[in-house]
Amino acid sequence: MIGVGKIKQYSNVLERPLSKGKQEVSLSAFAFLFSELVQYNQTQVDNIAELERRLEDAGYAVGARVLELFCHREKGNRRETRLLGILSFVHSTIWKVLFGKVADSLEKGTEHEDEYMISEKELLVNRFISIPKDMGAFNCGAFVAGIVRGVLDNAGFPAVVTAHFVPVEGQQRPRTTILIKFAEEVLAREARLG
Amino acid sequence: MAAIYSLYIINKSGGLIFYKDYGSAGRMDTNDSLRVASLWHSMHAISQQLSPIAGCSGVELLEADTFDLHCFQSLTGTKFFVVCEPGTQHMESLLKYIYELYTDFVLKNPFYEMEMPIRCELFDINLAQAVQKERVALLGR
Amino acid sequence: MPTAGPRSGDAIFASVERVNAELFTLTYGATVRQLLTDLEEVEEVNKQLDQMGYNIGIRLIDEFLAKSNISRCVDFKETADVIAKVGLKMFLGVNATVTNWDAEGTCCSIVLEDNPLVDFVELPDTCQGLHYCNILSGVIRGALEMVSMKTEVTWLRDMLRGDDSFELQVKLLKQVPEEYPYKDDE
Repeated sequence: MIGVGKIKQYSNVLERPLSKGKQEVSLSAFAFLFSELVQYNQTQVDNIAELERRLEDAGYAVGARVLELFCHREKGNRRETRLLGILSFVHSTIWKVLFGKVADSLEKGTEHEDEYMISEKELLVNRFISIPKDMGAFNCGAFVAGIVRGVLDNAGFPAVVTAHFVPVEGQQRPRTTILIKFAEEVLAREARLG
Repeated sequence: MAAIYSLYIINKSGGLIFYKDYGSAGRMDTNDSLRVASLWHSMHAISQQLSPIAGCSGVELLEADTFDLHCFQSLTGTKFFVVCEPGTQHMESLLKYIYELYTDFVLKNPFYEMEMPIRCELFDINLAQAVQKERVALLGR
Repeated sequence: MPTAGPRSGDAIFASVERVNAELFTLTYGATVRQLLTDLEEVEEVNKQLDQMGYNIGIRLIDEFLAKSNISRCVDFKETADVIAKVGLKMFLGVNATVTNWDAEGTCCSIVLEDNPLVDFVELPDTCQGLHYCNILSGVIRGALEMVSMKTEVTWLRDMLRGDDSFELQVKLLKQVPEEYPYKDDE
């Protein structure tokens, strides 16, 4: 091997030891990539709802993989089977590894039994993004909503997950709330488990 | 008393993509600001040609009786300049900092189109703070 | 206060805000997957990835200049060195070396010691023609174009295709002199 670098060669990705997840890249590298992902998707849609859906799809793909990876690495191949357990796994473990911090809050919806909210004062993906006025309530957090849905769905907790800007009193900028609405079957199962 | 009168950003073809007026008196209308921008773009280019030093990157400071004009041009050709009270300090570092804000809140914004006028709320918010800090630094001396 | 003189890639990477590489890797993976679904043809995906990289490059160059304090490079050799030692390090945290210079000093290889884009990736049989990392070559091409260098950037070796490392060839096509922005009124 004309070894200029230190890369160990593995003929197959499966033979490589799983990374410990301590590697880092600059926030800028991620921000430029994410920005381009949004720009590309804008060229593929006719309206904002479609853009939201496509970003959510991209996030879903990330979420599905994150669940597998983290359950294996952080939890010794065990995953949560109860609603509150999986929610706190998303709010704490997933958030901490992906975004470097635990999410600001996890709350139960006050009006509906099947709704939960994860809120963040400033979502990492939105750090550098200003939404133009003509795009209304659009939130690039749709990507993060997709990640959450990807995790939940693949863990057996199907849900509708959406991202919303919520104004905060005394703050110039709104926070982002990821609204999780669980499927009926999930609530029914929880009720049975007691 | 405001030390900074106004801030301009010109794209590499000389188009004014950002203008902010901080002065309370002598505000300019849109046409005037466009005129100043294109005038400065030309003068800056001419200064590069006239300079006896090869590889001169153009005027960095213009001192007049009633104002100073500090200019920073990135290697990519975007110009940032402030018009301020004569003798105002720290303008080079302010411009450098504004350049960094531009790389964060303008260039990383997927809804910003290159070379077009800058309409980014986060850029405005952070810029306002930067200019404010600069004022505070001046007041504190 | 701005520091005088250029800063090293390590120093910049240590001082900037960083994120978990897996977020980056998986987001890139999701991007490639979208392109494969949208465009179907692998060759089209290669083109689109290169285009997306270019779009990033023309924006990212300003951050690179602002954070590195680098002034104009004297020649293409210095430019290639700066990409390898400072650019790749400050954004991706990876080390790279410049090698295989041609006699004219207009073509060289950048060999990556690590590549966060490809963690977890294995090309399926249907995607053997995919240049999975094509975004990176686009970034370099776009960034250099903004500082007046027209280049052609191609992958010579790709570990996903069974090679022993990642090697990018950067070829200087044309150095566009800075143009005086006026035409004579003739």
